[in-house]
Order: sequence, then structure tokens, then C-alpha cells
Amino acid sequence: MPKVKMKRTGFVIDMTPLVDITFLLLTFFMFTAKFKSEADNEQKFQIKRPKTQADTAKLPEKDVAVIRIAIDSTRPSDTAYYFSVANPELWMTIKDDPSLAEWLTPDRKEASKAMIKTVKIEELETLISVSRTQSKAFNITKKTAAEKAQLRFAIDADKRIRFKWIADAMEAMRRTRQTQFNFVTDKQQ
Amino acid sequence: MAGGGELGGGGGRPKRGKHSKRKPKKRLGFRIDMTPLVDITFLLLTFFMFVTTLTTPQVMDMAVPPETEDVEVAESKLFTVRVREDGKIFYNQAKDIPQPIILKELRTKAIKSNLDMKNELITVLKIDENVAYETVVNILDELNLAEIKITQALQAEKLNRERKFTISPMTDKDKEEIKGL
Repeated sequence: MPKVKMKRTGFVIDMTPLVDITFLLLTFFMFTAKFKSEADNEQKFQIKRPKTQADTAKLPEKDVAVIRIAIDSTRPSDTAYYFSVANPELWMTIKDDPSLAEWLTPDRKEASKAMIKTVKIEELETLISVSRTQSKAFNITKKTAAEKAQLRFAIDADKRIRFKWIADAMEAMRRTRQTQFNFVTDKQQ
Repeated sequence: MAGGGELGGGGGRPKRGKHSKRKPKKRLGFRIDMTPLVDITFLLLTFFMFVTTLTTPQVMDMAVPPETEDVEVAESKLFTVRVREDGKIFYNQAKDIPQPIILKELRTKAIKSNLDMKNELITVLKIDENVAYETVVNILDELNLAEIKITQALQAEKLNRERKFTISPMTDKDKEEIKGL
């Protein structure tokens, strides 16, 4: 008599709820994921931001000019101001502004795709005032009120930096009559 | 496993009547193997989870006085906070002698002084150039936290809070005042 072959019965799990949730999470993370911008790519330094507790607003993603002050990884005792504007088309017009031509030489311009490195406070001042005027000129071309946005300024400095660097940047703001600006911080968890 | 499934009933056949002799065909649900789909989905999910950064940087409002001629203020209305090179904090109101204060106490002190003077008090922050930026932000944070309490307290008295605050450069005279303390 031939042996009766027992049929193995594999069990089946209903994966539908699992897939539902996974897709939900996947779409959530896909939409929230933000990839490195050009400015971050060019950035050769890392900024350790100071932490704050008070409720503050989030750093806007556009219409913001950021002055970064970081500790240089190659020369720790030295630093510079890194100036960048979040809106690409505005950034192009700022770089081509004739009042910057004096010191923003073609090779220096080439090196600064997304941010301009400067140690001179006068250069920073010119950058601030040029960005302001260019942003205003840009606003005139926009039709709807929603498109018009005032350029905001923010100082994003490393927490280990001496206050002198920030005080100098603030003085540059004051001299260019940009009395309102922001400090970029991280929220304390 | 991944059978195409049984598509019940043909398309073109005439509809069965009420009194059809034919046995109703049992519908067979079809099953798709979801394992590869789940594999890929999990892979993408983990990728996006690692890549994403949920903490976006915050901003703290700051203002500097415009470059005009100096404004005369009564010294009695000044609440001065000085930060020495070594990070020690000193405060004084009006013409008092500067007192050392620790960061944690600064908030309660700022709340008390401000509420005593209602909206009159002007906070002046003077920071030595060699102080770390972190210390400065910590002090500003404490003052911002104090501001919430002050605004609440003043609102209870039906008053609108007008914040008077400025950062001004530290002069040699300031340094001299807090030198030996």
C-alpha cells in the first residue's frame, strides 16, 4: 500500500492592515522628507545651534536671508560670515548686482554658488542692503499679495562662537537699517 | 500561490432568470501574494525614516535700535544685565551696585522687576565680546520666558505689554563696574 502523502498546509496571514499602515507611514515620511538644498551641499561646516525653550516660530523656507557663522573645521580659531538667500532667482539677481562687482570677483562668484563667504564686515553690510533692495524690486514684479513677501534676515551662528562675531553682524544690520531680524536656534526637547 | 484568481461568470452570457435551474456558481476570491510589495514598502519606509529630519530650526526675534541720535532715558528705569568675560551674569536696577545672579534666577528676577515697574522698565543687555554665543542665547531665552509671565500678569490688570529691550555694547566703564565682583 502506498504511503499516504500528507499535504502540508501553509498558513496565510492577512497582510492587508499591515500594508495599509505601512503605506500610510511611507507617504507621511515621503512628504515630510526634505533633502539637502544646494546651500547645505556647499556648506563645509556644521553649525551647532544653541537650544531654547521659549515658544518661537519656525525658520521660514523661503524669503529669508541667512548669515551663517560657524567654526571652520580646517582652521578652528578662524571663522567667516556665510551669506545666503533661500530663493534661487532672487539669489541670482543679488549676485549680479553692480554694487557687489567691486569685490565679488568672477572667480569668487564662481566659488559661491549658494553662499558668499566673507570676513569683511563692509561686504556683509553691502550684501544686506543689496538683498533688501533687490527683494523690493522683485516684489514689484509680483502681481498678487500672496506672492509678495518681505525678505527676512536671520543669524545662524554656532553656539561656541565668541559674541563679537554676532555683535558685529548685528552692527551691520543696524547700519543698514535692518532693525528686525532673527536668531536661529534649536528647540530644546 | 499567486493565481490569477477566478473571475466569476462570463461577460457575454445572458442574465440568469429567477427560475434558473443552474446551480449558482460559488464565487472564488482571489489572492495576491503581497510579500514583495511589503518588502519594498518597508525598504522605502525605513529609507525615508532615516533620511528625514523632523526638527526644523526655530527662530528667535531680535531687534536693534535704529541708527539715530541717542535717546535720553531716566536711569531709574533701567534694568541692566551685564555678562562678564567668564560668563558670570550681573544685574542692577537704576544706580544700584551690580549683583551677581545665576541664570536660573534671572527669570524670576526679571519678572519681579518688570511687574514692579509695570511697563516702564527698560531692559538693557550688555555682553562682553568674548562670551560664547550660547550664553547670550540662554539669557535671551530666559528673558523671553519671563516675558510670557509678565504679559499674562499685566493682562490680568488690563494692561498691554510693551516690551522695552535692547542689546548695547559693553563699554570700559561697564567692565570696570563688574570687575572685582
